[in-house]
Amino acid sequence: MKYISTIVAIGIIIALSVVGGAFFIVDETQQVIVTQFGKPVGKPITTPGLHMKVPFIQNTNFFDKRFLAWDGDPNQIPTKDKRFIWVDTYARWRIADSLLFFQRLRDERRAHSRLDDILDGETRNAIAKHLLIELVRSANPEEQGKPGTLTIKFGREKLEQEVLKAASSRVMDLGIEILDFRFKRINYVEEVRKEVYARMISERKRIAEEYRSEGAGESARISGEKDRELKTITSEAYRKTQEIRGKANSQAADIYATAYNKDPEFYQFTRTMESFTKIMDDNTTLVMSTDGDLLKYLEGVK
Amino acid sequence: MDPQNLNAAELRRLIPSGLQWRSGVILVVALFLAVILWNLWFTVEPEEVGVVFRFGRYVREAPPGLNFKLPDPVESVIKVPVQRQLKEEFGYRTQLAGVQTRYTSNNFQNESLMLTGDLNVAVVEWSSQYRINDPYKYLVKVRDVRTTFREMNEAIMREVVGDRTVNDILTVGRQEVADEVKTRLQALCEQYDTGITVDQVVLQDVNPPDPVKPSFNEVNQAQQEREKMINQAKAEYNRIIPKARGQALQAIQQAEGYAMDRINRAKGDAKFFEFILEAYKRAPKVTKRRIYLETIDTIYPEIKHKVIVDDKVKGVLPLLSLGSEVKP
Repeated sequence: MKYISTIVAIGIIIALSVVGGAFFIVDETQQVIVTQFGKPVGKPITTPGLHMKVPFIQNTNFFDKRFLAWDGDPNQIPTKDKRFIWVDTYARWRIADSLLFFQRLRDERRAHSRLDDILDGETRNAIAKHLLIELVRSANPEEQGKPGTLTIKFGREKLEQEVLKAASSRVMDLGIEILDFRFKRINYVEEVRKEVYARMISERKRIAEEYRSEGAGESARISGEKDRELKTITSEAYRKTQEIRGKANSQAADIYATAYNKDPEFYQFTRTMESFTKIMDDNTTLVMSTDGDLLKYLEGVK
Repeated sequence: MDPQNLNAAELRRLIPSGLQWRSGVILVVALFLAVILWNLWFTVEPEEVGVVFRFGRYVREAPPGLNFKLPDPVESVIKVPVQRQLKEEFGYRTQLAGVQTRYTSNNFQNESLMLTGDLNVAVVEWSSQYRINDPYKYLVKVRDVRTTFREMNEAIMREVVGDRTVNDILTVGRQEVADEVKTRLQALCEQYDTGITVDQVVLQDVNPPDPVKPSFNEVNQAQQEREKMINQAKAEYNRIIPKARGQALQAIQQAEGYAMDRINRAKGDAKFFEFILEAYKRAPKVTKRRIYLETIDTIYPEIKHKVIVDDKVKGVLPLLSLGSEVKP
């Protein structure tokens, strides 16, 4: 009894493992290559679901079907204009031909190491061939020719495409497809950064000075305008007042002339009389002759 | 508990020695059934959706609530929070969210430091909010969507910032940058088949790098100074010009008054003369004489020293002792 139950138990275990070994589940995210003693058998399995194989003899090799990550090692690379920059890149790739992939690389770790070689190398090439600005900009600024604006011939996107194209052709025989390649981070190395900061500071200083000088200039302009306007106003006022006065005087002269011309002799007489009252005061010493008009009667009426 | 993992040897140990083999088998079967039954249903939270796979193949999506499926090795469920808004932060991290949220941006300079289109450096901190809109794609198409999304964000933000000057980014271009990043990010999400939608890209702090900050402030200050100088000049202008205008008007009015005065006087004088002249013409000799004498009348009393000379009286001269009589 005891032996029988043990034998049954062992039988069940063996049966289970045989059945279990015959079936395998392929996920939506997976693709499988079945190998027999290390040799691939049949086509790669890419459809998800339950699949069968010969237990013990055949082995399953699972590969991912999804977009996989590749993150470049941040690298210090000089550009064509001899600027040292840190470049961090990333790429997305997938196992396009799992059979080829299995034959050439076997696993992702090895794939990564090949991708490192290829992508880092191509990145280096692309960067060394171009100016820094080509890495930074992907389009030319709208207002060109302004001081400080830099123009590009290729641009970031083209460079990324360049690397992608060059690398793609080299990984084709590895069963890998690179879907996208991007520059994630581009930064100045520490020493260059300091220089750039110094430049930025001097640039800001220049702008600040420009503002200040603009302020002084504008203020001077306003002040000048003020002076000009002031002079205009005062001189205009002077001109007008003189005009008014002159005109009045001329009119007055005309009025006097027309009146006095009626009898110039009488005018002379009355005006002389008027003058007498003004000329003579208590300090005047008057010498009168008895021959005169006034005192002639002093000597008696003749 | 996974029934496949239970093998007979282990079961033996689990069953107390006093029990019969038969009852042991019943217990095992009951346990097995319980596990299977337990595996027949699952709940999906309101913000989630359950994605059901049968032998690894996608079959259906389960809505929130109680759902049923075949037991575990056959069907499996992955729950995806489709309604939840997810957020990635760049250049800073929310330390403690709350009424007064605390942030930290230490040690994330790597993420936020970037080159601008004029080869300057800016520190841009931002966050991206996204949702999973296609759980199938999200689970199946890309490995590690979150890391992918972060890398996309960094690449695209730098791409967009790289096309603008540091001034644009710090001032007017902020919203433009955020919008542009959102659009490009969405396009890239679709290109990569991530199954996510970008809801919003929000630029948080956008600053010049710390060592450069003071000089940026200086520019602001200079700008203020410029305004101040212009305002002062304008104030001076306003202080003087309207006053001068008033004074000019005053002078003109005065001149006009003078003119009026001059003309009226002339007219008056003329009329006065004409009247006298008329009278004179009526009796010329007498009138002339009268005017003469009247004038003498008014003048002579004023004069204190009068010397009368008679031609016929000789030797009296000089009567004038000049100097003593004439007061200085």
